[in-house]
Amino acid sequence: MNVEKRSAFEPPAVLVERETPPPQMRRPIATSFGAVLVVLRVLAGVVWLVALAVQWDHVLTEDLDIELEPGTDLAAASDVILAVVLVVGAIILLAELALALLVYRGSNWARITVMVFATLSISGAAIDYFSGDAEITLRTTLITLSLDILVLLALSSHNARAYARRPRSRPVVE
Amino acid sequence: MGEPGADASEPPQPRRFSINAALDGFFFVYAGIAAVWLAWLVLSETLSFGWFGIAFFVVFWLVLAYLVLPRLHRILTAIYVPDYFIGRARTSDGLLGDPVNLALDGDEASVHAAMLTAAWTRADDVTAASSWRIITSTITRRSYDEAPVSPLFLFGRQQDFAYQQEVEGNPARRHHVRFWRTPDGWLLPGGRRVDWLAAGTFDRAVGFSLFTLQVTHKIDADIDVERDHIVSTVLGANPDARVVILRDFSTGYHSRNGGGDSVRTDGDLPVLDLSDVREVGEVRDAAIEESDESYESDAAPERVRVIPGVKTA
Repeated sequence: MNVEKRSAFEPPAVLVERETPPPQMRRPIATSFGAVLVVLRVLAGVVWLVALAVQWDHVLTEDLDIELEPGTDLAAASDVILAVVLVVGAIILLAELALALLVYRGSNWARITVMVFATLSISGAAIDYFSGDAEITLRTTLITLSLDILVLLALSSHNARAYARRPRSRPVVE
Repeated sequence: MGEPGADASEPPQPRRFSINAALDGFFFVYAGIAAVWLAWLVLSETLSFGWFGIAFFVVFWLVLAYLVLPRLHRILTAIYVPDYFIGRARTSDGLLGDPVNLALDGDEASVHAAMLTAAWTRADDVTAASSWRIITSTITRRSYDEAPVSPLFLFGRQQDFAYQQEVEGNPARRHHVRFWRTPDGWLLPGGRRVDWLAAGTFDRAVGFSLFTLQVTHKIDADIDVERDHIVSTVLGANPDARVVILRDFSTGYHSRNGGGDSVRTDGDLPVLDLSDVREVGEVRDAAIEESDESYESDAAPERVRVIPGVKTA
C-alpha cells in the first residue's frame, strides 16, 4: 500500500507537470465548440475578403490616397495586387479550415497553433485599443475579437487540453 | 510517481516538466485576462445601444458567468484550495462543493442494487441531449426524473455515478447523491478503508450561484437530513444492508458549497455496508416517505453500529 505524506500546499511545479488523462475519452464540448468557432472565424474572413474585393477601388482612393486612372499601368497593377491578396487570403483561410478539422479530431499541435494565432491577434487588438488608436465596437472589430477570445478560452480549457493530449493506442507524431 | 529503477521493459518515464503544459498554463491564464477585457467591451457596448442594450447586458452576464468567473476561479483555486481529501468535493471551477457525508462498502453492483431497491433513480450522464432535456423540462415544468447532476470532483475525478429522487415531479427539487470510487489502498482520515465516498444534498430551488452568477440548484442547508434520508431509505429497503456510524468524523461545521449556499453538519459519517446486497429486490416506493424517526432508533439494532468520537481529558 502506498500511503505517502504530502505537503500542505501545492507547489507551482504541479501546474506544469505532465497530465495523464484517461485514454477513453469522449470529445468534450469545449473541443467541438472551439472547432466551430474557428470555422466561424473563417467565415468572418471570407466576408472580409469579399468586402475588400467589392470595395477595392474605394479602399485605394479613400484609405490609401491613391488616385487611379482607368487604362494606366497603375490600374492594372492594382488588379494584380487585389488578385494576390485574395489568393493569399484564401490560402490562409483554407489552412485555418484544415486546422479547425484537426482540432475537432483532437490534434494537439493544431490546437496549440490556433491558440498562438488567437493570442497574437488578441494582443494586436489590445495594443491598438489601449494605445488609443482604435475603437472596438460591434461595427468595427468586436465580432472577430470575441471569436478569437472565445477560441482561446475553449481550447485552453482543461477538457480540451485533456482530449488533445490523451494517450492514443497508435503513436501520433505531435 | 516517477519511481526510479523501474523495470526495463516499461516505457521510459516522461519528463516531469513539459513545455507543452507550460504553454497550456500560459494560454489558460491569458484567455482568462482576455475574457475580462471582452466582458468590459461588451458592457461598454451596452451603453451605446439604448433599449437594444438589454440584449447586450444578457450577453455580458453570459460572458461573465460562464466564461470569466469560472476561468478566474479555476486559476485562483489551483493556488489556494488544497487538492487532497478534506471531506469536500470540488466543482469543475475548483471551488469547494458539496461535503462528503456518506461512505459505502461493497462492489459497484451491490451499490446499484441497493439504491435501485430503495427507489432511487440513476441520473443520466451530462450530454448535449440530456442538457437540452433538462432545459425544456425546467421551462415546461415537466418531470425528468433521470435528470443529470452537475459534475463534482473528488480525487481529481468526476463522480462515477449519481442517484436521485425527484420531489413532486418538479425538476427544481430533488434528493441527489453522487458516488466516487476511492483509489485502491486509500484510507479515510483515521485509517478506515471504504470502497466508495458519496455526497448527498437536497436541491430545494433553482437560483444563481454566489460565486459564478450561473444558474444552478440551491441546496438545503441542513445536509444531515439528506444524509439520514439516504441511509434510512437504503436500510429500509435492503434487509442485508448494515451501517456503522463514525461519530464526529469531521468536526461539526457550517460552511458554503460551490454555489455559495450555506451548509451545516454534525460531522457524523455513516458507512453503509452493502457487500451482502446482491440483486435488485422489490422496489420499496414506501421508502421515499419521510419518517420522523431516525434510522438509528428505527432499524434493527444489530444493523446499526455506532463508533463514538473519543474525548481525551
